[in-house]
Amino acid sequence: MPKAMGVVNQAVPAEIGGEQNVVMVEHGSAERAGSGRKILPIVEGVVLVAALLAPLVLQDYLTVFATRVIILALFALSFDLVWGYAGIMSFGQALFFGSAGYGVALLARDLDITNIFLVLPAGTIIGLTFALLLGGFLLLGRHPSSVIFVSLGTLTGSYAADRLARGWYYLGGQNGIPSIAPMTLGGYEFTEGPAFYYLVLGILVVVYLLCRFLVRSQFGLALAGLRENEQRIAFFGYKAQHLKAIIFAIGGAVAGMAGSLYAFHEGFVWPNMVGVVVSTQVVLYVLFGGSGTLIGAVIGAVIVEGVSFWLSDNYRDIWPIILGLLLLLVILFRPLGLISFVLGERERVGSFGAEPGDTNKEKRNAAP
Amino acid sequence: MANAFVAAFEILSFGAIIVLIVLGLGIIASMMGIFNFAQGEFVLLGAYITYLAYAKGLPIWAGMVAAPFVVGALGFVLEALIIRRFYAAPIVAMLGTYALGLIIRESVRGLIGGFYLTVPEPIGGSIDIGAMHISAWRFTIIVITLLVMAGCYLLLSRTNFGLRMRATLENPSLARASGISTPLMYGATFAFGSALAGLAGALIVPVFSLYADLGLRFLIQGFVAVMVGGVGSFIGPVAGAGVIGTLSAALPWVMAPVVADVLVFVLAIVFIKFRPQGLIAGKGV
Repeated sequence: MPKAMGVVNQAVPAEIGGEQNVVMVEHGSAERAGSGRKILPIVEGVVLVAALLAPLVLQDYLTVFATRVIILALFALSFDLVWGYAGIMSFGQALFFGSAGYGVALLARDLDITNIFLVLPAGTIIGLTFALLLGGFLLLGRHPSSVIFVSLGTLTGSYAADRLARGWYYLGGQNGIPSIAPMTLGGYEFTEGPAFYYLVLGILVVVYLLCRFLVRSQFGLALAGLRENEQRIAFFGYKAQHLKAIIFAIGGAVAGMAGSLYAFHEGFVWPNMVGVVVSTQVVLYVLFGGSGTLIGAVIGAVIVEGVSFWLSDNYRDIWPIILGLLLLLVILFRPLGLISFVLGERERVGSFGAEPGDTNKEKRNAAP
Repeated sequence: MANAFVAAFEILSFGAIIVLIVLGLGIIASMMGIFNFAQGEFVLLGAYITYLAYAKGLPIWAGMVAAPFVVGALGFVLEALIIRRFYAAPIVAMLGTYALGLIIRESVRGLIGGFYLTVPEPIGGSIDIGAMHISAWRFTIIVITLLVMAGCYLLLSRTNFGLRMRATLENPSLARASGISTPLMYGATFAFGSALAGLAGALIVPVFSLYADLGLRFLIQGFVAVMVGGVGSFIGPVAGAGVIGTLSAALPWVMAPVVADVLVFVLAIVFIKFRPQGLIAGKGV
């Protein structure tokens, strides 16, 4: 991750603090959440309003930072789909993020294609294709793959891609591809700033709503069942491996879209973007925020990036240590992430289909 | 002829290093079912302790002797405090040990800064065979690796302790019923695996020098080696480490290093996909 620009301003912490206040205020209602009160839409609404207002109160360089966070939140969403909803531990999500970034960077460098209607679909398709290939290989087959194999397989894929990008001259080697031309719409160039911010926010909202629809559909129900007990779902006649491969590919597509936005926003791509560092970072976001809720992934990305931005000036050296400690605490004591402070278990699992309230509410065990 | 010999020595020496690192990882993964992401950081700690001894003016070998004991003790404490909670859930264990590794790695980074610190070889110079020179220290590593491998094998297969360890790991409830303290055995196994990592770190630091990402470099190779070899026995991961180490060292001699690097991983993953039980399946030591 490139460290963001110099001076620390209070605005971002204040915004983060604002969200944490929401967390505090709503804390008491976690118990009541089970009794039918809807917390999730409130949290989503608050986050959306905060995101909409952010550029109005933030200084320019903070808007640039906020744009990056929104893109990373989109990326976190992709991992959450795969891990939080289907229980596939993808330790190599950056592979799709980064390869799409490299793909659009090459399009811009070698073919001068920067039109938003070409590069974003291209990035998405690159992510989708890689995810289909890797997911198909790892997940499909005569025997179901063990969860350990899939997680180590994705990790290895990401690591190998990192090594490849570092050593391949065409991809710029260690330095990556610098100074990518800005994304264009007709004659308009998207450079860093409020316009880019609202563009990615709009994309995030659309993707979020699509994901929300997806995980609340019958497909989402099958996925949830798969996550809880794969064998039983298979006995019900679902093709469990196919479902997994599909959601893995969708996750890859979302990651690819995030990666292409990231490449154009930062203006360069470099090997870390496909590597293990970014892969584990997205895992951190989702674990912090709360896997298995879409908004948890978004909040996690905002909090981790926001706090690290805030601390990185004064406490740059010890921040990763604190991050590790916090992560350990969350894993040990809050396996469902920070969102579980406000969101009851019943609402997190949610309801599927038409009749909210009488569908089968699965009780989920400790595994996040 | 001389070139081929030097190449063979390089390959053997790198293979030995990978085996040394995978020994601890393999014992923990095979016997406890935990893929310990902090293993690379245990290697790093072993290297750091050796560096500390050197920096304080103590003999280097003193640091190398101390490293496995210190890291083993740390492993024992961590197992009792944290790792113990993860046994039921292998994925959570990965994430938890990743967090642990992050803490250790960044702490060490804070202590040494972003530098590459060199530690001299305790046995310097080279061994000359005719016109060929091979590094004495690398040769020592090969010898020590062989000794440690043999020692581990004997410990697990021939001693009462090894028997109890294997019994605990194979069937915990029966072991408990037979009067074996299973929590103690888990702690001892984890400590043993950590100690091996500490030893590996101590021995390789003169070759690779000390930097914060030293352990990370070997972690993924180690995991792949364990999977290729087959989880569930002691021999499996060692065999896997031999194969992966040899391949990673040998392939760059015949093709572009970049391609070789990636090819090893691709081959390994394809192999595991079609032979999930690994090279050496089945029980035994």
